[in-house]
Amino acid sequence: MAQNKTNRSLAYQLISFVLTFMLIIFVISILVTRILYSKIMLDIQLSNMRHLVHERIYLIDGILFKVESLAKMARSVTADYHLSDVEKETMLRTLLLDNPQVHSICLADNVFKGTQPKVMYTVRHRFMQRDVSGLDYRYQDWFQIPHSIGKPYWTEPWVDNQGKGEMVISYSMPLYDKGEITGLLRFDIELKYLQELTTNPSNFRIGTSFLVSSTGTLVAHPDLDLVMNQSLFSLAQEYDEPSLSRLGSAMIAGENGYIKIGGKSPFKNSWIYYQNIMSNRWSVGVSIEESVLMEEVNLILLIQTMTSILIFLLVGIAIYARALSVSRPLKKLAEAADGIGAGDFDAEIPLSDKSQEIVTLAQSFSAMQKSLKGYIQNLRITTEEKNQIRGDVIYASEIQTKLVPSNVEHPLGIKELRAYGILEPAGDIGGDLYDYFMIDEDHFCFVIADVLGKGIVAAMAMTMVSTLLLSIAPYYKKSQELLLELNKFLSRNNIESNFVTALLGIIELSTGILEYSNCGHLPLYIRKMDRSFMKYAHTHSTALGVFENLDIGSDTIQLNTGDEIVLYTDGITEAMNINEEFLGLKGLEEIFSGLPMPNPENTAKSILDQVHEFARGSTHKDDITLLVIDYKHPGIK
Amino acid sequence: MKPLRLILAAGILILCIVILGSCKGHGSDSREVSSDPSVSGEGGFPIRYCPKWQPQAQFAGFYMALEKGFYTQYGLDVQVQKLLPSTEAIDSLLTGSLDIIHIDLLGAILANSEKTRLVNIGQISQRNAMLLIAKKSPKMNSLADFEGKKLGIWRSSSNLITEAFLKEKDISMQLVPIDWSINLFLQGAVDVINAMRYNEYHHMLQAGLKEEDLLIIDLHEMGCRIPDGGLYVRPEFYAEHPEQCKAFLQGTLDGWLYAFSHPEETVDVVIAQMHKAKIRANRAHQTWMLDGMKKNVMPSAAEMGILKREDYQRALKLLQQEMDFPRDMSYEEFYPNGAK
Repeated sequence: MAQNKTNRSLAYQLISFVLTFMLIIFVISILVTRILYSKIMLDIQLSNMRHLVHERIYLIDGILFKVESLAKMARSVTADYHLSDVEKETMLRTLLLDNPQVHSICLADNVFKGTQPKVMYTVRHRFMQRDVSGLDYRYQDWFQIPHSIGKPYWTEPWVDNQGKGEMVISYSMPLYDKGEITGLLRFDIELKYLQELTTNPSNFRIGTSFLVSSTGTLVAHPDLDLVMNQSLFSLAQEYDEPSLSRLGSAMIAGENGYIKIGGKSPFKNSWIYYQNIMSNRWSVGVSIEESVLMEEVNLILLIQTMTSILIFLLVGIAIYARALSVSRPLKKLAEAADGIGAGDFDAEIPLSDKSQEIVTLAQSFSAMQKSLKGYIQNLRITTEEKNQIRGDVIYASEIQTKLVPSNVEHPLGIKELRAYGILEPAGDIGGDLYDYFMIDEDHFCFVIADVLGKGIVAAMAMTMVSTLLLSIAPYYKKSQELLLELNKFLSRNNIESNFVTALLGIIELSTGILEYSNCGHLPLYIRKMDRSFMKYAHTHSTALGVFENLDIGSDTIQLNTGDEIVLYTDGITEAMNINEEFLGLKGLEEIFSGLPMPNPENTAKSILDQVHEFARGSTHKDDITLLVIDYKHPGIK
Repeated sequence: MKPLRLILAAGILILCIVILGSCKGHGSDSREVSSDPSVSGEGGFPIRYCPKWQPQAQFAGFYMALEKGFYTQYGLDVQVQKLLPSTEAIDSLLTGSLDIIHIDLLGAILANSEKTRLVNIGQISQRNAMLLIAKKSPKMNSLADFEGKKLGIWRSSSNLITEAFLKEKDISMQLVPIDWSINLFLQGAVDVINAMRYNEYHHMLQAGLKEEDLLIIDLHEMGCRIPDGGLYVRPEFYAEHPEQCKAFLQGTLDGWLYAFSHPEETVDVVIAQMHKAKIRANRAHQTWMLDGMKKNVMPSAAEMGILKREDYQRALKLLQQEMDFPRDMSYEEFYPNGAK
């Protein structure tokens, strides 16, 4: 038998079901982990960035504050009119030498009275001083802006060509005398120093620090191509990235916060934390690429995914092994069942297993095996008994067959008669009977009988009737006498109270006189040479074997030469067609009308054939008996 | 005096014909770089030239002409001279250390005195890009609000147009001379600042200022239709080397045409020049500047390189009326090419 393709093994079903379920759980778990961890990691990393920015601001603002303080102290000294110019310059010189953070100092006092500014700086710890030439300095931011606004001012980065020629940022403050600005004092910090403070590696292992001036210019950044060339706004424009412009506006406005930058700029896909520097309104930012930010999350997800796959494999293997341990006894049970099906009722059924369900199933199976075994044993005995009975029945059938006369052309050697009988039992043996014999030299006796019922009992009764008639016939010459004697016997000995219909006739061969009695049997027909027939339906009593004191009459008929006596049992008239209609007497008479000239053998066989034809396809079956006798057939003469 | 002028004019005319004849072969393919080994920079006519300012896209045409060999193609060996700090280009020209300079029209006209003369050999910029910018406020909404306010104004000759404009509009402001920095304005030390649309204005945008927060007075749009940058030589130089003057103009214009049709490459070249000069550069700004220069240099292809008579007359009149310029120079004298 071809196995259905949709039938899968238990292991396959278990593994696919459990693993699908687990896959759904793992996917949900990974997604939830990613969302939650991303948020947590982002918070942690943003916090780290904030610390990094604070660290940078602490360093830078510390320097700026210190320089501011030094400048203010210096201004106090320069304003002290008790000190000579030489003393003031000595103080500034000491201050410069003692504070390496101060790159250079420019004293531009009394410039409007013709004094030229002086720049002081050190070269390899040697003090240098030079006068600033010309008047161009007055148009430089360090001079012009604090002079115009009358307040100290931190410049944007610039190159002091009159000093050391390095890029610096300057803290420049006006000097006053009696409310009038007399000049300016400028303290410079080398930009490189601030850049190093900004971009030096930190204790925090991630993040890129950068410094933005008050115009949004990138003053310090690890990418030197950007430094002093680009502002956040120019990058925003170059890379068409509005978020950089927002960042620039926030930073120059002195705000603190986080922002995510997209696009293709050098800050692409980065988170940035920014905070302003109090001293000069610059701003420090730290950027971390989101991929770096999410590195740990991705690592966790990778570990989780690998763990999931490992669990998948282990669970799969475990399920497979367990499913095998479950299916193995099932397979053995199936093999045992196949064995039992093939007749091996002693096939071993495994009754021990770890699984209670399997044990219960095996026990049920074993009980079924035992029941089947007992049943088959009983069946065998019954079958043997039945076969024995059947043998007996077949034997009885043979005996019964031998009880009826064999068909010969002239029965008992009587030349005046021809007879042909057919006995066709519904089963192996039947309850019908026909017989004929000579009572004496001139008297031919024939009988047809039908015992109510079928099978053994009917056959026994039939045998009794046949034997009795043979034994008592020589003592009686009249049909009614014979039947009365038969009735008495049956009435007394009929255990099953079966009654018997019978028609018995005695033909006086010398005269052709037929004397007969019909005890509850079907009508007798006599067919003539001209193919007409006579029906003798009168019965002379009820059936035999019921009432002991039965009154039986008789009739006589003068047979003519060629007359054919047709006797039959209810198997003929009660033959049923496929529409459950009986053949009946009428049907039989129609058969007669189609028969050729009387001839017992032809007549009997033709009737039987046509009855069989009529009953074709019907399941109903009864014993059929026919006896046809003709008297002094013309052919004999 | 009169016969001398006639002879000069006739001489110029003849020279122009000669130059035109010599230039006939160039035509529309003049921008292509010549691979003719006979025309080399080293063997060419030496020209000492100094742009008005540091390298930037404002002079993209010149740098592209150098880069692509257009000057060499015209038989010139152009040597870029570095201007010393605090030195005016006109002074260097007059002292003979430069052959060709690039200065504003008003400055050039004003430089013509009894003793000195300048000749325009080509007008590069056809319109000025000067803006006066203030931060918008309820009290700063129009040009009239400039009255009495502090104006940061360049202390170079580029301030002439602003001063003339303010006088014409009869607006009196406190002038604060400044250099190139816009920080004075950003810090609020001046109320108004002069700025080139292609340069300082964009610097402001790159420092976080928003266009909508600024009051911008465009001098050209306010009727001050005076062109600015042009190429100038001494009359003697022009008289001696008219072909070379023409060639220099043609090479420069070819450079500009190339720059406008190859903006990406041009910005690369300009930025490389800026890096070489160790000055700050960003691409967005140079791209903006090149785009701005296109509007100034090439309002239409037909106008390129020409000083129009009406522009000259307008500039001269402005100087005479507002700056008390005493001279009345003819268009042809100032711009010999215009005599044709």
